[in-house]
Amino acid sequence: MSAAPEPLKPLKTWSHLADRRKRPSEYDIVNTRLHYRQRDPNVPWELDPNLAMNQWYRKYCNESPLKHHDWDLFQDPDQLVYRTYNILQDGQETYVNGLFDQFSDRGHDQMISREWIATLAAFHSPARYLYHGLQMGSAYVAQMAPASTITTCLYFQSADSLRWVTHTAYRTIELGKAQSDLGFGTAERKIWEDAPQWQGFRRLLEEALVVWDWSEAFVVFNLVLKPAVEEVMFGTFAEVALANGDTLYSLLSQAEMRDAERHRRWASRLVEMALTVEGNKAWLRDRVAAWTPLAEAAIAAFAEALPESDGGVAATARLLNFQRTLGLRD
Amino acid sequence: MSKLASSEYYDLVRTTNWTPRYVTEAEMFPEAMSGSRGIPAEAWETFDEPYKVTYSDYVATQREKDAGAYSVKAALERANYIDTADPGWVSTLQAHYGALAVAEYGAATAEARMARFARAPGNRNMATFGMLDEMRHGQIQLFFPHEHTKRSRQWDWAHKAMHTNEWAALAARHMFDDMMFTRDAVSVAIMLTFAFETGFTNMQFLGLAADAAEAGDHTFASLISSVQTDESRHAQQGGPVLKILIANGKKDEAQKMIDVIFWRAWKLFSVLTGPILDYYTPLEHRKQSFKEFMEEWIIGQFERQLKDLGLDLPWYWDEFVRSLDETHHGMHMGVWYWRPTVWWNPAAGVSPEERDWLEEKYPGWNSTFGRCWDVITENLQKGREDLTLPETLPTICNMCNLPVVGTAGDGWNVRDYQLVHNGRLYHFGSEVDRWCFQQDPERYQGHMNVVDRFLSGEIQPQNLAGALLYMGLNPGEIGSDAHNYAWAGIGKQNQAAE
Repeated sequence: MSAAPEPLKPLKTWSHLADRRKRPSEYDIVNTRLHYRQRDPNVPWELDPNLAMNQWYRKYCNESPLKHHDWDLFQDPDQLVYRTYNILQDGQETYVNGLFDQFSDRGHDQMISREWIATLAAFHSPARYLYHGLQMGSAYVAQMAPASTITTCLYFQSADSLRWVTHTAYRTIELGKAQSDLGFGTAERKIWEDAPQWQGFRRLLEEALVVWDWSEAFVVFNLVLKPAVEEVMFGTFAEVALANGDTLYSLLSQAEMRDAERHRRWASRLVEMALTVEGNKAWLRDRVAAWTPLAEAAIAAFAEALPESDGGVAATARLLNFQRTLGLRD
Repeated sequence: MSKLASSEYYDLVRTTNWTPRYVTEAEMFPEAMSGSRGIPAEAWETFDEPYKVTYSDYVATQREKDAGAYSVKAALERANYIDTADPGWVSTLQAHYGALAVAEYGAATAEARMARFARAPGNRNMATFGMLDEMRHGQIQLFFPHEHTKRSRQWDWAHKAMHTNEWAALAARHMFDDMMFTRDAVSVAIMLTFAFETGFTNMQFLGLAADAAEAGDHTFASLISSVQTDESRHAQQGGPVLKILIANGKKDEAQKMIDVIFWRAWKLFSVLTGPILDYYTPLEHRKQSFKEFMEEWIIGQFERQLKDLGLDLPWYWDEFVRSLDETHHGMHMGVWYWRPTVWWNPAAGVSPEERDWLEEKYPGWNSTFGRCWDVITENLQKGREDLTLPETLPTICNMCNLPVVGTAGDGWNVRDYQLVHNGRLYHFGSEVDRWCFQQDPERYQGHMNVVDRFLSGEIQPQNLAGALLYMGLNPGEIGSDAHNYAWAGIGKQNQAAE
């Protein structure tokens, strides 16, 4: 066992980054090529090759119809790492908590109309379920994505959805204090399960949650369902809120839209990367075309039930435009 | 009115279960991923995490923690502590990072399993935070060792190890994959967060942090204690899940999961942590022996937690307690003897003073394990280093993927526990390892350990050089004695000759 005469020389960075010309950033150092399950595509996990979970990852990750020779080349355009995510979101939460605090001090919920508060009970508080569904969906795609740089974006996205759930729960309790007979905090599940304005989103969400292929699940959540939800909740509904004097909801939804825009930035970058591979474009367009009608129906069902809205016309146009800018729709 | 207290809206954040209509509940929560075990959603909704946190509090607290740990690193970076650190301590860090950094990032996937598939809404939210925590632990434990890549190629293994077929990395993967990546959400809560994190990582992190502070490595001490403070937040998930299983007549299933993973964790720690605490850490910096740590954290604390939950001690508890005197000494000797097959430089840790300490902590050490080290020491003193290096592979356990070891010398008890299953002969390092296999043979039966691969011709050329190549180990990365045999008196002799 005599050692060869020339030992490997130390490098300035990880060996897998050493060939690059540019000096590795903190993002590169802590985020790249971390999924060891990708080392052997036939046996992701170091156990019996036929184990159900080995089959699950082979089928829904490694044999996915969306192809790339090296998904690990993906980079989050925002270059977020855990450390900077918390700095970013602590600042954002300080802003939102400040809004909650100040609007409460000013008696905001006593100044908006009871009618509007009833609208919030029907169209805002039940969104807790929808946002939680997005949280679950992102956590699924995260555990199935083929590269750690993709997974990390999805972990943050899932946490952002929990952030929206939390804001929604917070407002639900506050509104219940202002109008205690409107079922705030107790009626949301029934409204989410039965009221017509939610059934389009509920159907799309439930069907999205059982899409197991990582790339199709990415398409449904990031290119169809999430943008549809965001355009309605932070767009259409926020406009109506503003018209009803609910400045707090308007500002809150703008703050949440900052997260959504970040999700779209990384999703767009991933699509861009996928489109460099022949065959991916047709598949992506096909999947977007297959799922988007459900989103259009969901937007319509929500907005048509919402008094004083445009019936979802603008939200649908923005959703389709987002897909168009990705090159996934004519 | 001002701000609501978090206790006012906290419950609503976890009131998120609904009855699906457009797909079935069984489709939305497949049993293979969810593991609800026939217990209805309403029963899972009684899940109540004792340690509660909101999103706002999370990002604020964690921002502060990182600010603290990263500034300690930045402040101490120019002091170049590592260049003057004891080589045994350097090896400790290299072994630690290689075996854990990438696996910790991976653990976020296990948290994500619960975040998506747990039927308990409180579990799903806590797992979302757990997902972030594990991402932190992966990222910070890559960032800290990265500054040392310029010092030696062995530091590259903080990132590289888990992507190789190096035997210790393979053993770690087999264990982690079994415990957290290939299990349903309920099993993950029990095996990862309860049996492993509550049971063992306290030991790893507090033990190492104490020794790091003693050794003057304040960067590592602050890193590791900072990571440790996140553990209780996500390690708590197993407790409430266990309560629900027990209340719904599934105690035996829960008990079996704990019994399997507790043993598997013990074996991994016996090779990863045992040698570090009792042999690599410089004698003057050792706070407690490995056994003492195990007694305090496992026998003291974990045993009590099991009892509080109404669970039993694993059936093999007496054997476990007995093996605290044995297994890690055997693992250490194995790692040191096969030192070219690891990515760090094992410290023998058997100078006369250290042997006195070992004898005190483990009475009888000198007449058992000490006997092998007598021979090794003598060979080194006679200039026969070749006799202290292996020419064959050790027998590897088909469960823990670690060498089959036992007590040496006067207490010789080494035994291979064999099993023929579907016409294949399997080897196990203990009765318990074999029992783990028998609980669920389909999980393990088609897996090949390093020796199986060698014998099947998968490793070429079929010799030790080929094995090193297969394990990704090149000159500059392969391990050698951390102190260059000074402990055997050889350095002193050389000085005298000069």
